[in-house]
Amino acid sequence: MSTQHAGWSRREFAGGVALFALALGIPAAAVKLTDLAAEDAPTDRQNRLIADVSDLVIPRTDTPGAADVGVGAFVAMALAHGLNATRAPMASGMVTAALAPFQRRDGSLRHLVWLEHALDRAAGGDFLRQLRENRVALLTEFDAQAMAQGAPFSPWTAIKGLILTGYYTSEPGGSQELRYELVPGKWQWDIPIEPGMRAFSSDWTAVDFG
Amino acid sequence: MTSNDTQFDAIVVGSGITGGWAAKELTEAGLKVLMIERGRKIEHQADYETEVKAPWEMEFRGQGDAELYAREYPVQMLNRHFTEYTQNHFVNDAEQPYQKAKGKDFDWFRSYQLGGRSLTWGRQCYRWSDYDFGANKRDGFGTDWPIRYAELAPWYDKVEEFVGVSGAAEGLAQLPDGRFLPPMELNCVEQAARERIRAKYPDRLLTVGRTANLTEARPEQGRGHCQYRNICARGCSYGAYFSTQSATLPAAVKTGRLTVVTDAQVHRLEYDPATRRVSAVHWIDTKTGEHKRAASRIVFLNAGAFNSVHLLLNSASEAMPHGLANSSGVLGTHIMDHANTMAGMAAMPGFEGRTTFGNRPTGIVIPRFRNLDTLDGKGFSRGYSFQGGALQGTWTRGKRMAGIGADYKEELHRIGPWTMVLVVFADSMPRASNRLTLSNRTDPRGIRQLEIAFEHGKEEHAALADAKVEAAAMLTEAGGHVFMGFDQPGHGGTSIHEMGGARMGWDPKTSVLNRWSQAHDVANLFVTDGAQMSSSACQNPSLTYMALTARACDAAVKMLKEGAV
Repeated sequence: MSTQHAGWSRREFAGGVALFALALGIPAAAVKLTDLAAEDAPTDRQNRLIADVSDLVIPRTDTPGAADVGVGAFVAMALAHGLNATRAPMASGMVTAALAPFQRRDGSLRHLVWLEHALDRAAGGDFLRQLRENRVALLTEFDAQAMAQGAPFSPWTAIKGLILTGYYTSEPGGSQELRYELVPGKWQWDIPIEPGMRAFSSDWTAVDFG
Repeated sequence: MTSNDTQFDAIVVGSGITGGWAAKELTEAGLKVLMIERGRKIEHQADYETEVKAPWEMEFRGQGDAELYAREYPVQMLNRHFTEYTQNHFVNDAEQPYQKAKGKDFDWFRSYQLGGRSLTWGRQCYRWSDYDFGANKRDGFGTDWPIRYAELAPWYDKVEEFVGVSGAAEGLAQLPDGRFLPPMELNCVEQAARERIRAKYPDRLLTVGRTANLTEARPEQGRGHCQYRNICARGCSYGAYFSTQSATLPAAVKTGRLTVVTDAQVHRLEYDPATRRVSAVHWIDTKTGEHKRAASRIVFLNAGAFNSVHLLLNSASEAMPHGLANSSGVLGTHIMDHANTMAGMAAMPGFEGRTTFGNRPTGIVIPRFRNLDTLDGKGFSRGYSFQGGALQGTWTRGKRMAGIGADYKEELHRIGPWTMVLVVFADSMPRASNRLTLSNRTDPRGIRQLEIAFEHGKEEHAALADAKVEAAAMLTEAGGHVFMGFDQPGHGGTSIHEMGGARMGWDPKTSVLNRWSQAHDVANLFVTDGAQMSSSACQNPSLTYMALTARACDAAVKMLKEGAV
């Protein structure tokens, strides 16, 4: 990734995200962005889209949902920094006609731009203007196609992964929805699973190999 | 320390696992010791900056800045243990460059800091056996080890007692028992796998990994027992895993005879052809760029296998034009790293209602069963062993699952299904063509870089092919449904068991070191890190390095007393 400060204003981008963060009630410091190229600055609409899509994946239940914890802003930042190998050049065999228009010169994919087009296309119009139940139905189908066994490569896999990371590594996601024990203090090698028992976000081996 | 104003009995280059041991043993024997570390100072407890951080307290949620990693940590980022929490315990590749021979990959995972890789190591502690020390003689690869297990056994005892190794005694000839602290229990899936595998294959024993994590506190060392966090590489304020900081350094400091210099890159050993001794150690203060030197009666190289060799190659002189202690010409050759891959992964049904609490900081091991008393390997003459374990998934399994919404969230809320993983480590054959040389390129401090030429050979490939088949067979026997398995090794370096290059041997014409880890050519020079290894075995090597270091220190002190060095 280029380390040059390209033409776009980092301050502007950071400012935009900060406003966005403010609207979500999360600290702006959590979405610090540095050294990113102009073309990686998401538009307002892309920011709204990824926030919405994140919340469709992990909605509020008896614990906060993705929108409550600012997952969209995390995904935008993560994509800009290339987490989950999202800045890696795509292998030539993976570049279909549907993906080619969204490639950067370095061969990597503009995930948010792709997502915006793909969802609008699935919606036959403006995805964000659909009712929530329609958006749920559209995204369910979109997700099912991408995640089906033997499905061709889809950038959705990486985006979905980042949505999960954004949620389950947030404090509510990691410690309310799941259990977080920094210092278990003991090893119990065989205990029964009780009804409602939550998985651990602090089982680091499971996080790695899960 | 800029001149000869301080005369030391010993200089120890490096502060990792073996450097810490050398400093401890030599100071406790009454020697005045200077330990030189190329990296920064890391103080036990106070400097473990990320130890108690939650993911939401980290800028990149513990994943780290991929953009920064691609730019400055392109090699280190390939290490599974390199994360946002641990990145400050690894080198910056951009600042610490090395070269790879054309067409040959080697991922060199390094930690330049006080404590070295003792802060980030995998902590697995296994004795070698005579199947290992006798391997070169038996199949003709490499040169015969000038020692056997019986000579090293008391030194294994000594280091295990100090390190604190938890493990189960199993009475296996190929993986001798040690002085163990109580073992950590196998989980229910591993317990069942142990029984089912043993029933079908009487010569294969699944046991819990022997690990340098304390299952009983060591108050006399100021070390608490393991808290089952399994975040060791961040640094452990409890001192529950063995590191230089938690164990050997305090012991050496306590003698009042240790001086430590950090941010000091040793780049040359000065050789005096008249006395045939190392006469001084030269380093660059990496903060100021200042050149410094110190002298001592003996020198221990513990810079890490490849760095110790690098230093010897960079210490060529008129008297020793091919590198210090290299009259044999084998310095840099016969480097090794275990061939390693994930041999098998299986879903393990039948344990749905059961789980664990706590993060056990070790897995399981299935010790070598090939080519012991019967040569039963097809296309390979040595061994491999498996490490891994059974685990239950957590939220990350959602990355591979279809679904969105409340139901999907509810599914990820639950403790995931059991899977079992077997990772294979195979003997790396000592080959002359796998070697270290000096590159013509220099590092940012003007020191010639190391060039690594390494590739696995057909024996390693044959061992991994067999391991994949056997991993699948054992996982299936254990009740698993195998869904993944590989037989191609990762790049050299992937095991982080790089070793050799200054091998031990009987003959000064074909080896660098004698049976006391002492240079054949230079009586006051000892190399007791991984560089001394003549073969690789398939066990994790650190415990053997520690035992060899303690043994060499004892020999060196005796030689000093006798006036032999």
